[in-house]
Amino acid sequence: MFGRRQFLKSTFGGSAGIFAGLAFDDLVARDGQLTQTLHHPPKAKRVVQLFMAGAASHIDLFDHKPILERHHGQPWDPGETVELFQSTPGACLASPWKFRPYGEHGKPISDIVAPLGEVVDDIAFVHNMVGKTGVHSQGTLLQTTGFSFTGFPSAGSWVSYALGSETENLPSFIVLPDHRGLASNGAKNWAPAFLPAEYQGTQIRVGSDEPIANLTAPESTFITSVSERDGLRALHRLNSDFAEQRPGDDRLKARVQSYELAAKMQLSASDALNLADEPQYIRDMYGLSSEGPGVDDRTINTKAETEFFGRKCLIARRLLERGVRFIQIWSGNDNGFPRRNWDSHENIKRDHEPLAMGMATGAAALIRDLKQRDMLKDTLILWTTEFGRMPCSQGSEGRDHNPFVFTNWLCGGGIKGGTYGESDQWGFRPLDQSNPTQVYDIYATMLHQLGIDHTKLTVKNNGIDRRLTDVHGHVLRDMVS
Amino acid sequence: MSHDRWVAFVIAFTTTFSFASADDDFAETVAPILQQRCLDCHNEQLGKGDFSLTTAEDLIASGYLDLDNADDSYLLELVTPVDGHASMPKDAQPLSDQEIDSLRKWIRQGAKWPAQVKLHQSFVRDKDWWSLKPITSPPVPESDAANPVDAFINQALSSRGMAAVEKAPPQVLLRRVTYDLTGLPPTPAESLAFLADWQIDQQAAWESLVGRLLQSKRFGEKWGQHWLDVSRYAETHGFDKDKPRSNAWPYRDYVIASLNDDKPYDRFVQEQVAGDVLFPNDPDGVLGLGFLAAGPWDFIGHWEVGEGKLDGRIAKHLDRDEMISAVFNVFQSTTVQCAQCHHHKFDPIRMQDYYRLHAVFSAVDRADRVFAGRSAAQQRADELDRQITALQSRRDDHQRQQQDLTAKQTAPIDLKITELTQRFRTEQPQQPQFGYHSQIASNPNEEKWVQIDLGSPRLIDEIKLFPAFDEFAGIGAGFGFPVRYRVDVALDERLIDGHRVLFDASGSDQPNPGCVTINIASDRQPIQFIRVTATQLAERSDDFIFAIAEIEAIADRHNVALNCNVTAKDTIEAPVRWGKQNVVDGIYFKELTDDDAMERLQQLRRERQQLVRRSRSEQVESELRNLRDQIDAAIAARNQIPPGKFVYAAATSFDAGGQFLPTNGQPRPIHLLLRGDLRSPSELMRPGAPPLWDTAPETFVDEDHWDEGIARAELARYLTSTDNPLAWRSIANRLWGWTFGQPLVGTANDFGRGGTTPSHPELLDYLAARLRDDPDHSLHSIVNLLVTSEAYQRSSRVDPEMAALDADNALLWRANRRRLTAEEYRDSLYAIAGTLDDSMGGPSFQDFVIEKPEHSPHYQYDQHDFESTASHRRSIYRFVVRSQPQPMLTTLDCADPSISTPRRDESTTALQALTYWNDRLVEYAARHFADRIRTHNVNPNQQVDFACQLSLGRLPNELESKVLHEHLRDHGPANLARILFNLNAFVYLD
Repeated sequence: MFGRRQFLKSTFGGSAGIFAGLAFDDLVARDGQLTQTLHHPPKAKRVVQLFMAGAASHIDLFDHKPILERHHGQPWDPGETVELFQSTPGACLASPWKFRPYGEHGKPISDIVAPLGEVVDDIAFVHNMVGKTGVHSQGTLLQTTGFSFTGFPSAGSWVSYALGSETENLPSFIVLPDHRGLASNGAKNWAPAFLPAEYQGTQIRVGSDEPIANLTAPESTFITSVSERDGLRALHRLNSDFAEQRPGDDRLKARVQSYELAAKMQLSASDALNLADEPQYIRDMYGLSSEGPGVDDRTINTKAETEFFGRKCLIARRLLERGVRFIQIWSGNDNGFPRRNWDSHENIKRDHEPLAMGMATGAAALIRDLKQRDMLKDTLILWTTEFGRMPCSQGSEGRDHNPFVFTNWLCGGGIKGGTYGESDQWGFRPLDQSNPTQVYDIYATMLHQLGIDHTKLTVKNNGIDRRLTDVHGHVLRDMVS
Repeated sequence: MSHDRWVAFVIAFTTTFSFASADDDFAETVAPILQQRCLDCHNEQLGKGDFSLTTAEDLIASGYLDLDNADDSYLLELVTPVDGHASMPKDAQPLSDQEIDSLRKWIRQGAKWPAQVKLHQSFVRDKDWWSLKPITSPPVPESDAANPVDAFINQALSSRGMAAVEKAPPQVLLRRVTYDLTGLPPTPAESLAFLADWQIDQQAAWESLVGRLLQSKRFGEKWGQHWLDVSRYAETHGFDKDKPRSNAWPYRDYVIASLNDDKPYDRFVQEQVAGDVLFPNDPDGVLGLGFLAAGPWDFIGHWEVGEGKLDGRIAKHLDRDEMISAVFNVFQSTTVQCAQCHHHKFDPIRMQDYYRLHAVFSAVDRADRVFAGRSAAQQRADELDRQITALQSRRDDHQRQQQDLTAKQTAPIDLKITELTQRFRTEQPQQPQFGYHSQIASNPNEEKWVQIDLGSPRLIDEIKLFPAFDEFAGIGAGFGFPVRYRVDVALDERLIDGHRVLFDASGSDQPNPGCVTINIASDRQPIQFIRVTATQLAERSDDFIFAIAEIEAIADRHNVALNCNVTAKDTIEAPVRWGKQNVVDGIYFKELTDDDAMERLQQLRRERQQLVRRSRSEQVESELRNLRDQIDAAIAARNQIPPGKFVYAAATSFDAGGQFLPTNGQPRPIHLLLRGDLRSPSELMRPGAPPLWDTAPETFVDEDHWDEGIARAELARYLTSTDNPLAWRSIANRLWGWTFGQPLVGTANDFGRGGTTPSHPELLDYLAARLRDDPDHSLHSIVNLLVTSEAYQRSSRVDPEMAALDADNALLWRANRRRLTAEEYRDSLYAIAGTLDDSMGGPSFQDFVIEKPEHSPHYQYDQHDFESTASHRRSIYRFVVRSQPQPMLTTLDCADPSISTPRRDESTTALQALTYWNDRLVEYAARHFADRIRTHNVNPNQQVDFACQLSLGRLPNELESKVLHEHLRDHGPANLARILFNLNAFVYLD
C-alpha cells in the first residue's frame, strides 16, 4: 500500500521529486495576451484579493460613524423608506467596538481591526462603494467577476489571461477558500467562464491532507516510487514519438511538456505549502497557533480565526514569492450552521470580532512582510466583500444587508494611502450619491496598476466584446498618481 | 466592431426625417453623433440629468449652448476629454476630436436644427447580412463526387488550387466515427468485423457501420451531451445554497430519446418552448420544457426575497433574460440579450423586441411539474384539485364572514389586550430554539406524543409544560398547543411498568394557554419516562399539529429533564427552530415580563374566545363544518391517487413556497425598461419577437390581456417557420461542428454582425434547406450525409504545403485531430476496464458525498468511493452540480453549465497532466483493466496486444510494443494500464 501522504514525504523529503528526476528542457514560456504589449508601464505585477464572505460591516471595521453612538437605541430616520433584505429597520445600533486613530492622519479604525493600525498609512480606503443588489450570490459575483449573473470570468482569470504567469511551476491564479466551505456561488467565483480553462483559479485547501487535488499519486496497491519514475519515462518516450510522427500539430508536443510542467509544479507547490522553514517570529506575526490548522473552533473564537486566515496569508506570501500572479483569499464560508462567515444578521459581536481580528492580523502581517521583502511596491492587495451592513439593528444585536454603501481598501502596488470617497453620516449611502465608487472603478484601477487599459482588455463572447469592467469603470486617478 | 463598419449600417432616423440642403451639416454629421453617443440616456423618456436631445427646443431649453461664444458652450465642455476622460458620455469612450470639431462648427454656425425633426436612439434596420437573408437552395456544384458535401468542399479547395490529403486508414476511421457518434471506443469484435467488411467493399462497410452507429442507443447519449452543453443543463440551482434539482433528469432522458428517435427537428424545438400548449396529450410536450428551466436559478432571490421587493423583481427579470437568451442563442444563433439596455448595436433588434420576449415568458417560472401521461386517474386528480380549490375558497369566504361578525364585538377586549402586551412586552428577543414540532396531520384526532427519558427513576415534585411561541406564525403564544392532551409517566419507555396518568385533559377541549406555564403536581412516586400525548391536535389554517416549547421535571427545585434524551412519535427536525431535543434545552419564551399580567392576558384571551364563540352565527358555523368535512373527504380521495412523475421545467402552476408563488398563467406586467433598469419602466409590452425576416410577426397578440400559452406557442412557430433564415442554418451549422470538430460558422451561438461568417456559405445553405425541406426534418439524415462524405474520412495528416495556405483547415483539406472530451475519457476508462454499466436513463448517479444538505449542501467529490457500482454509468447520467463542478471533468474542459457552450475548449495544461496521471479514477480503472488483462491472457505479448487493442483501437507499433513490454515486465499490468490511459495515442483521435 502506497499512500498519498507517504508519497508526498518520500518525494519531497529529498531534494527532487519523481517527475523532476527526468531531465527536460525546452519549456514554453507562459505569456499572457498582453505580456509583450502592455498599454503602459506597470506599477504592480501581482494581486492579492481578500474576500470577506457574507458581507463585512464597514461601520464596525473601517468607517467610523460617531452619530450612531449618540443615537444608539433611538429610532433611525435616514429620510427615506428603506427596504431591507430580511427585516424591517430597527433602532440605531452603535458599533460595539471603540474606534481609535492611527497613522500620520489619525485614521480611526475599530479595535477589532487594530492590527491594521500599524500599516494604515499604506492603505487607500474607499468608503463610498455601491453594489447592485442585497442578495449574497449576486453581490459576490459582482465583486469577483464584475457581473451579478453567472457566466463571466473571475478578475483573477482576466488578469492571468492578460499577463500570464511569472512562473511556469505554479498556476497563475490560485484560490485559498475557507476550509469550512465555499462561499456563495462556490467555484463560480474563480471560474474562467468563456476564457480558456487554464485561467481558472486553482484551489489550495490549506490545512487539508491533500491541499491540491491530484498533485501526487493516489493511494494505490500498485503504484510505487519506481513504477512512478519508470512510468513517466515510458510515457515521455511514447508521447514524444507520437508527436514526432505527426508533425504540424503543436498540441501533441505541448501535451508532452505538460507532464514536465506538472513535475515542476509538484515541487514548487509542495515547497510553497511547507512552512517548516519559516522562523518563529514570522509565524507569530501571522498569528499561527501552536495547534496548527486543527485548532479548536467548535465555538467561534479569535485564536482559531487568526490561525485560519493568518496561515492562508503566509502561504499567499510564499506563493507570491514564487511568481503566482493572482491570489484570492476567502474569509468565511457558505451560510451554513453554525455561522462561520460575516453575515451577522443575529449578532454582530459574536461573529465579527473573531473574524475581524483574524483577518486584520493576517492582512497586516502580509502587508508588513511584503514590505520588508520589498514586494509591497509591486503587489496590489485588494480587500472586498459583497456589500455592507446597515447602521440600524436587526433584532437587537445584528445588522441586515446594506448594498447602498460599503468599504473596499487597496494597498501596495503603487497605491497611495488615504481615504477616497466617503459615506454619509450614517454609513447608509455615499456622501455624494451622484459620484459613488463601483467595482468597475476598483478593477479599472487594478488593471491600470498592472499596465492594462481596462477598456482594451476584451474577449469576444457570443457576439459581444466582454470586459472585466463591462461598459463602465474609471481609474481612481487620485489614488495612483 | 470598428467605427467605420458601425457608420456604414447603423445610421437611421425616424421615418419622417428629411432635410433641406442647408441642414446637411446637422443631418450628416451632428445628428448621428447625438443619436449614437448621447440619446441612449438623454432622450424623451429617460432624460437623464433632466436633459433631452430629442428636439431643438429641448436643446435650447437646456442652456447648454452659448451661441454668442460657441466655444464656451457647456455642451462642448462636457464632451471634451481631459487626460483622456470626459464628463460625457458617461462610462464610455470620449468623442473623437473630429466629432467634437463637428459639434463646435455646428454651434458656431448657429446650431441649426430643422424644425419638426425629432431624434430618436439609433437602431439597426438593415437586414443586409448573410444570416438574415432567405436561405437559398444552391445547386450542387458539378463534380465527380457522389456526396454533395464533397462537391461543395472540393470546389472550394480546387478554386484555391488546393488538394485534400489521402483517406485515413480503416482502424483510424473506425475509432474516429465510433467516438464521434457514440462517445465510446470500438470493441475488438467490432473492429474485426469492420475490417473484414472493409476488405470486401469499403463503401458498403462504411455505410453499414455508420448506419449501425446511428441506430445505436449510444448515439443519443453522445449527441445528447452536445445538446445539454448548449442547453446549460445542470441539476442544481447554482448561486447561493446551490440546492439540488431532483427532477431535472427527465429532461436529459427526453433529449437522449428524442435524438435516438430522430424526432423531427421542428417538433424538437417546439416541444422545448411550448410543448405543453402545442402537444397537450404528449408527455414530451412537458418534458421538453426542461430546456427553458435548465439554466441557473437564484433560490434566494425568488424564494426568500420575492417579488414584493426590488431585489426579488430584479431576480425575476434576470431569470427571464436567462431564458430568452437561451432560446435565441440556441435556436436562432442570435444575441438578443444585447437589447436589454439599448437597441442592439449591430443587429436589427430593438429594445421593444427584447421586452416583447419578456412578455412571452412573463407568466412562467422554473419548478417541478407533472409530465406523466394524462391517465384517467390523473384527470380525476385534476378534477379533485379543482374541487378542493373551490371548496377552500368557499370556506375562506365563510370564515371571513364570521370574522367580520365578531370583529365589532371583540374590539373593546382587543384594545385591552394591546394595552397589556405593550406595557409588559418582554424586551428580550426570542431565542430561535422554539421547541418540538410534530409532523403535520390532516386529522385533528391523530394522536401525537413526545417523551422524555430522565435516565434513571427520579422522585419528581412537579412537571411543567411551556407552550411554544412562534412569532412568524401569527398565532404567537401557545402555538401548536394541543386542544386535548394527557401526561403519562412510567418506569419503562413503553409505559407499562409503573404506568399512571398524571394529568388528563383529554376529556374536553382546553383553552389555549398562550404563554402560561402549565404546572402539574406529581405523586412523589418514581418516574423515569414522561410522555405528553396530544389527543386532539392544534388547528392551523388547514391542518393539525402538536408543538411545545419546553418540558421541565422539577425535583428539589431543579429541572432534572434538562438535556435528557427525547423521543417522539414523529417530529419535524428543522434546526435551529424546531427539533425534539429543543423541549429539554432550557430555552422557552415568556411573552410578558410579569406573571400576573400574563394571567390577566390569558383571562382576556379566554373571554375573547368565548365572545367569539357566542357572536358566531350558528348557521355559518354549521356550513363551515360541512365544508371542512367535504374538503377533508376530497383531500383524502386526492391522496389516494399516486402523484405524477415530475420534471423540473418551465411552469405556471406549482406548489408555492416561501415568496415563490405561481402565476397560474396570469402574465406579469412587462414594461420596457429604460437602460434596463427596473426603476425606470416605460411602456407596457405585449408578446412578440424581433422581426428578423420579412414575413416574421412583430407582435403575437393585439390586446393587453393574453393567454400566456398562446404567446409561447406563437414563439415556437416563429422559431420553426420555414421562412426563418436563422433557425435552419443554426442547427445545420451545429450538426456540422459536432461532426467535423469545427462548425462552418465559428460563432455557433451568434450569426449576427458580432459573429463570424460562414467558411462555406453555399454548403451551409444547402444543408439548411435540405433539413428544412425534408418532411421528416431528420437530423440523422444530415449526420449520415456528413459522415459518409470523403471530407469526413480524410487523414488528419498535416500537409505542410496545404498548411501554408490554410493553417486552420477552414477548407477541410484534412480531418481535424481532436482530444477525447472529458466525458469520453471517463466513459472509455470504465468501458476498457470492463466495468461500464450501460443501463440508460433514470435518476442521476452522484460521484460525490453531500454534506450539510439542510442548508448549503457541500458536494464532496474527494469522498466518492470509486468501487461503488452506482457510479459506473456513462457520464451523461452524472448529477451535474453548478457551484462545485466535478474537478476531473472540469480540468479536462467539460462545459460550464452556467452558460450555453456551443463548442468545448481544448486546453493543455500541467493540471491536466496531474489529473490524467494521478486522479483516483485512473487508478481505479487501471486496477480493473489489469484484472481484465490478466484474465484474458497469460502471455505478456498477448497482454500488451490485448491492452492496446482495447485502449488504442489497434495493435502496438514497434516502439510501443518494446516500451510497454518492459513496463509490464517490471511493474505489472495495472501500471501498464496507467500508461495507456495517459498516452497521446489514447487521448487523441487521429
